[in-house]
Amino acid sequence: MATAADVKKRMVRINGCVASAQAAKYADVDVIAAYPIRPYTATMMALAQMVANGELDAEYIVADSEHSQLSISHGASSSGARVFTGSSGVGVQFAYELYSPISGSRMPVQMMIADRTLDPPGDFGSEHTDALSTRDMGWLMGWSCDAQEAFDNHLIAYRIGEDPRVLLPQMVCQDGFFVSHITGDVELPDTGQVKEFLPPYKHPYPLDPRHPVSHGPQIMPEQGPPLQLERARAMEESMPVIEQVHEEFAKIFGRKYDAWLEEFMTDDAEVVFFLQGAHAVTARFAIKHMRDRGIKVGMVRLRTIRPYPTERVREALSKFKVVGVIETNMGLGSVSSGGVLYSEVCAALYESDKRPLVMSFMAGMGGEAIVLKEFYWMTEKLMEAQKRGKIEKRTHWVGFEH
Amino acid sequence: MSTKGTQIPEWLKVPFAGITPAPTQEKGQDLFPTGNWRSIRPVYRDKLPPCNNACGTNEKIQGYLDLVKRGKYLDAYALIKEDMPFPSVTGRVCYHPCEQACNRGKYDEAISIRAVERFLGDLGQALAKDVVKPGKPNGKKVAVVGSGPAGHSAAYQLARLGYKVTILEKSPKAGGLNRGGIPDWVLPQDVLDREIERLVELGIEIRTNCEVGKDITWEQLKKDYDACVLAVGLIDPNSVRAEGENKDGVHYGLPFLRDIGMGTSKVKLGARVAVIGGGNTAIDCAREALRQGAVEVTMITVEAHPQEMPASPEDLHDMLEEGVELMHGRAVTAVLGNGRIEALQLHPAKFSGAINASPINVDKEAKPERFAVDNVIIAIGQRASLKWLPDEFKTERGTIKIDRFGRLGDTNFFAAGDVVQLGSGQPLMVVNAVGDGKRVAFNLDKVLRGEKLEPRTIPVDVIFDLNRMNMTYFPHFPRVKQELLPPTSRRKTQQEVIQAYTEEQAVEEASRCFSCGTCNACDNCYLVCPEPCIVRDVRSNGLYKILVDYCKGCRVCIEECPTGCLEGVPELDFETGVVRMDTAFAISPGLHGRQAEELKHLGDRATKNI
Repeated sequence: MATAADVKKRMVRINGCVASAQAAKYADVDVIAAYPIRPYTATMMALAQMVANGELDAEYIVADSEHSQLSISHGASSSGARVFTGSSGVGVQFAYELYSPISGSRMPVQMMIADRTLDPPGDFGSEHTDALSTRDMGWLMGWSCDAQEAFDNHLIAYRIGEDPRVLLPQMVCQDGFFVSHITGDVELPDTGQVKEFLPPYKHPYPLDPRHPVSHGPQIMPEQGPPLQLERARAMEESMPVIEQVHEEFAKIFGRKYDAWLEEFMTDDAEVVFFLQGAHAVTARFAIKHMRDRGIKVGMVRLRTIRPYPTERVREALSKFKVVGVIETNMGLGSVSSGGVLYSEVCAALYESDKRPLVMSFMAGMGGEAIVLKEFYWMTEKLMEAQKRGKIEKRTHWVGFEH
Repeated sequence: MSTKGTQIPEWLKVPFAGITPAPTQEKGQDLFPTGNWRSIRPVYRDKLPPCNNACGTNEKIQGYLDLVKRGKYLDAYALIKEDMPFPSVTGRVCYHPCEQACNRGKYDEAISIRAVERFLGDLGQALAKDVVKPGKPNGKKVAVVGSGPAGHSAAYQLARLGYKVTILEKSPKAGGLNRGGIPDWVLPQDVLDREIERLVELGIEIRTNCEVGKDITWEQLKKDYDACVLAVGLIDPNSVRAEGENKDGVHYGLPFLRDIGMGTSKVKLGARVAVIGGGNTAIDCAREALRQGAVEVTMITVEAHPQEMPASPEDLHDMLEEGVELMHGRAVTAVLGNGRIEALQLHPAKFSGAINASPINVDKEAKPERFAVDNVIIAIGQRASLKWLPDEFKTERGTIKIDRFGRLGDTNFFAAGDVVQLGSGQPLMVVNAVGDGKRVAFNLDKVLRGEKLEPRTIPVDVIFDLNRMNMTYFPHFPRVKQELLPPTSRRKTQQEVIQAYTEEQAVEEASRCFSCGTCNACDNCYLVCPEPCIVRDVRSNGLYKILVDYCKGCRVCIEECPTGCLEGVPELDFETGVVRMDTAFAISPGLHGRQAEELKHLGDRATKNI
């Protein structure tokens, strides 16, 4: 292990997109498959500069669409390359066909997502629906809430995904604009630290003319279920790997993340927000303000949604009286008739002896910020439910109710 | 953990995430046999090409054309010799029903099969030693009476089967109709001589000047030989039954040609000659008459049009080119003249029923026509001379009575050729006599070996419909024409009129063959198969083998088979193979098969008191 004296770290002020690009550079990726769509484009712009400047030795391939981007990534990964790609919003959707084949053939492609709301309204604001709609395709998936975490998550995700026990692709997500375009202090590590943390990618059966194999051949229907089962196993067996990698990351880089959940001021909390991504930053301020006024409110932030830490979510949330899920995604006609996170929370709590009340807030939609007064409003709703011992309704559309 | 306690059975395990060895023909696809996706299976099923079917002796025409195309002339010659003892002869004289049947005729022009046959026949003539060998001697002796096409063919096949064959020929030279009925300018004598030599080389004894009934009796034939083939042909010319037919200057077709052929003719023709009859012999007589010095030759037929004449169109065309005139719809009712013919009396006439197969109606009421001639050659067919034959074997039409196998009762006598075919509806042509001789030889062999004679019952699929082939593969291409002597010069010569193909011409013409319904190893299926399911080096029912474990039944090879040989056969028609419906998506028999098996026993396990 590198000693503190050897380590040449430096602090830079960069946004989430550039942080992701930096992470790809530190990961020494072999192939970059690019196709522009805002807001993630800035990542590819940064990488293009790095390749052009000779900072990074990688194949930079400009695809003709997101579908091609992911196809290129699939092929490159199959040949044994470490691959970096990314997209936003409808671009994520356009490549949808490739998500299952890539995870099915167990190629640890990494895809950076800077969320963009799906059309309508055709704006660039963040909404998690783009990536969340692919959540069951066999990709590891989680959200960062700031540029530093985004940088770290890229390295962590490569390490997990390329682990021979896992071999799964990863979506490393960050909110468009709130993370992708807001600058913050990011500590860039020493390359030696990264080398120590992230060994070179090695697939057990790469495409290699010297050792010919067939990837993705047509197989019999009954040969499909074993592959699905194996993919399910890989997803489940990644969980201890994820925890182990987070620990190692902390040891080498000195930043300790809980693999699954960030708990903020939850020790004696009675009501909590449950959310993913950038709005956690605002939530922390709001909670601090409310705590000053004696309100026992806290926050649980989900860091990894795939694999979903069911046990951890149950343990964490069973402690509280009321849980308010902030969706930032669309689940039209879903369980809560709001977002998709609600059902993930409720399902985890179903077997709990002490089930809290759960309600869902449709907030931060279309890339709107969730402002402090909306957190106060939501907190009031949670406290009313706690007082009443019963929720008023499952889903509230924040900003549209009194 | 949802996957806790799960197990993947050994037989479904693959190395990793479906990754398999690369798909090589040797091994790679073993894991994933996709053959059971198939509902139809491509099968190479050779059809009978229409030429082979139409040929009187069922020569494997498509087969030898294909070999010529590939430059394998000797193989082609050997193939033709299976059914035809003298391709050099039929290559010149045959009325080629094969060409009339040729599917290419419906597309542009029929293949000039006869010309290619002649090319092969001449090749065989040039060989120092023939490719055909006599069979292993079986110690049995067979007499063949007559050395015409039928006798020649029977003797040839019997020698190949191992019989000691003796041909009895009444003329001083063997050859029968081939010698006596076909002019030199169609079939040169030396060509026929060479084919007769080939018979001798096969160990066949030819006794000339030996006439049955005169030099050898029925009883002797019976006593001296184990079996006998009677191929005596039709010798006696038919008369027109006209008044004065016995006058000088009246000649009959076949004897006229035969005497010239044998070199014993004393006929001196005048300037104006009439030929009576509309068949091939009549045409040969008319053309021969020109060569014998006649100046004006007129052919008088009952048939009302040239198209009705029972003759090959090319011969008719060549005759007209040489200057012979046609006169239709008339019959000779008298030969006029004082001791010697001076003119013919003609009356309008027509067939009472079917053309060439019904009695002639002569309109005696009409005013007779006088047609001045110096000679007349009557060529309206022949009849048999069967005085020596026991009456029980004679038919009313004056032919030999046989069963459908060519056998005379339960004797070891068989008969073949014109002497049995007359009036049967079969055109009396060389190739038909050859085929008859061949079939009778095989039947005779069966009888002497104590086998039962049974009619063939296997249905044949003759491919007549061009839609059963993929015509996009066949560009239009004209027939390679055989050179002819110019009409003016050939009127005065015994030189062959029709010239032989060069090697290049033969190959070019053979290359036009569609190979109807028959695999000719064109490699198309091998090339178009989207998967490596067709292998070239292994034969199954074609020149290729379909790997049924992998063939998904996509039909591409079937659609793209130029010749129509490949067929899609429903998978359920096969007793064995990959797919049965209840395991349609399973590997041998696979999970679905097991489920189906378990379903069968589900009832046994149900609680009884439901």
